[in-house]
Amino acid sequence: MMKRDYYLTSISLVLLVIFLYFADMYMDAYIIRILNLCAIYTILGLSMNLINGFTGLFSLGHAGFMAIGAYTTAILTLSVDAKVQNFFLEPIAAPLANVVWPFFPALLLAGILSALVGFLIGAPALRLKGDYLAIATLGFAEIIRVVFTNTQNITNGALGLKRIPPYTNLWWSFGIAVFTVIFMALLINSSYGRAFKAIREDEIAAESMGINLFKHKVMSFTIGAFFAGVGGGLLGNLLGTIDPAMFRFTLTFNILLIIVLGGMGSITGTVISAFVVTISLEALRFLDQPIDLGLFVIPGIAGMRMVVFSVLLMLVVLFYRHGLMGTNEFSWDKFLKVLRFKRPLLKGGKN
Amino acid sequence: MEMLRTENITMQFGGLTAVKDFNLKLNKGEIVALIGPNGAGKTTAFNMITGVYKPTKGKIYYKGRDITQMAPHSITKLGIARTFQNIRLFKNLSVIDNVLIANHLHVKSNLFEALLRVPKYKNEDRSMMKKSMELLEIVGLIDVKDEKSSSLPYGMQRRLEIARALATKPEVLLLDEPAAGMNPKETEDLTKFIKKIRDDFDLTIFMIEHHMQVVMGISERIYVFDYGITIAHGNPNEIQNNQRVIEAYLGVDDNA
Repeated sequence: MMKRDYYLTSISLVLLVIFLYFADMYMDAYIIRILNLCAIYTILGLSMNLINGFTGLFSLGHAGFMAIGAYTTAILTLSVDAKVQNFFLEPIAAPLANVVWPFFPALLLAGILSALVGFLIGAPALRLKGDYLAIATLGFAEIIRVVFTNTQNITNGALGLKRIPPYTNLWWSFGIAVFTVIFMALLINSSYGRAFKAIREDEIAAESMGINLFKHKVMSFTIGAFFAGVGGGLLGNLLGTIDPAMFRFTLTFNILLIIVLGGMGSITGTVISAFVVTISLEALRFLDQPIDLGLFVIPGIAGMRMVVFSVLLMLVVLFYRHGLMGTNEFSWDKFLKVLRFKRPLLKGGKN
Repeated sequence: MEMLRTENITMQFGGLTAVKDFNLKLNKGEIVALIGPNGAGKTTAFNMITGVYKPTKGKIYYKGRDITQMAPHSITKLGIARTFQNIRLFKNLSVIDNVLIANHLHVKSNLFEALLRVPKYKNEDRSMMKKSMELLEIVGLIDVKDEKSSSLPYGMQRRLEIARALATKPEVLLLDEPAAGMNPKETEDLTKFIKKIRDDFDLTIFMIEHHMQVVMGISERIYVFDYGITIAHGNPNEIQNNQRVIEAYLGVDDNA
């Protein structure tokens, strides 16, 4: 049966590639943009779920890591002439002026830098627990934003960066998203992943079972920061423009929304939820426009669609706390069972 | 051979002295009990030995090595495992995962070797799976290995906690009220079970217990706490006839 799962997974991946190929060729730019965002939010959601959902660390610093990633990739991939154009108030710091890297190494460095900062922040902050950790990480993200607003000759301050080469395409975003899913699945199902879950379940018991709390927390936090950095990098090179105001708490909130709706501690849930939330955010855009309800007219209020999500989040927290998937994961067995309308398996009920 | 020794360990919480000058000595293969009325400081003594609390005063030696300032996970690694008074299982995880987690401290592969599933990690993973299954077999939980641990009945949860502690490969096992909430039949089984694991796993056992049936039945020596002070120490017979112990448990007759 393991072989069957292997084939089914391979076939699905091939189908995904075929889909991406045709999407890339025939779909319009708007849909491609949304698909890219879906994949990027999958990466971001998974990285946050590792920290919050699997390891049980209440961290709200994701926007900070994304900012580091986005700026690193952007600065490294901007062409020399775009840099001159961007930095008109104050020229860019000399060593960076002529650096132009290909996309992949730039993304990799974005992840590494973000992980490094994650490690440096994590080492002191992870001694805190619960709400205190949330406040500390939230503060960290704000600090990053304020620093980036003021480092005029590196990040171009509040002006932001424009003309970032649009390297992010479906292949990059989905390629890295698939890689992240596989990485997380391998991590969570390893001995280290079990240790993370033990920390989430009961720190005191985990410590008594010989798990070095600090080491494993920092490990999880750093890995999460790495993928957040990569996701940020992809986002920056998709949008083409970034500025510090983008990386406010709202961004962290969107990702938190995804993992809570999908299920804290479920890779499958995060992937599904990333797609559903990202697509709904676009589909519900009409709510931001004036709506004629017959009796009265709601004037166009920007951000009206977020109300839907806030209500949804409240409903989930109140009545359906485990989210879409809880801590369950996708498996071909379950999937096939659903397809067969819960008819019992023909032979060998076990796996 | 001496396994564990404490020298005048004292724990103060602000003005309250929870444990005062506790001198414990455990020899290899012994079953020793710690008894005393509620709030006497028994669990505090456990917490000091396992590194959860750092003693205000005094030293703890494990096989002659000073472990007083060590972190709980390092102490577990050296060979002291424990269970908890109010069961602390990894509730949302399966029974087998609970035991597997306790094997993690012996994993030598690093994160990347584990991620890449190199042969070294695969071997470790396989052997820890095998050992965990054996342990579940011994404690009789093999049939429920895939159940969520919080869904088990109380007695099974207790046994799972012991299995989990055994998975860390301890030489000294600390049991915090293993018979709490058990009926007489379960208590009897537990008594036999404790003796059996002592012999099978070559353990030294130190336990807190209220069930006198268990305590008097299997322990070779007993320490008695009252308000953090060791009021008596000796074999079950001596303890049963000790005037101070009787007073601590039953109170003093003022008219006498």
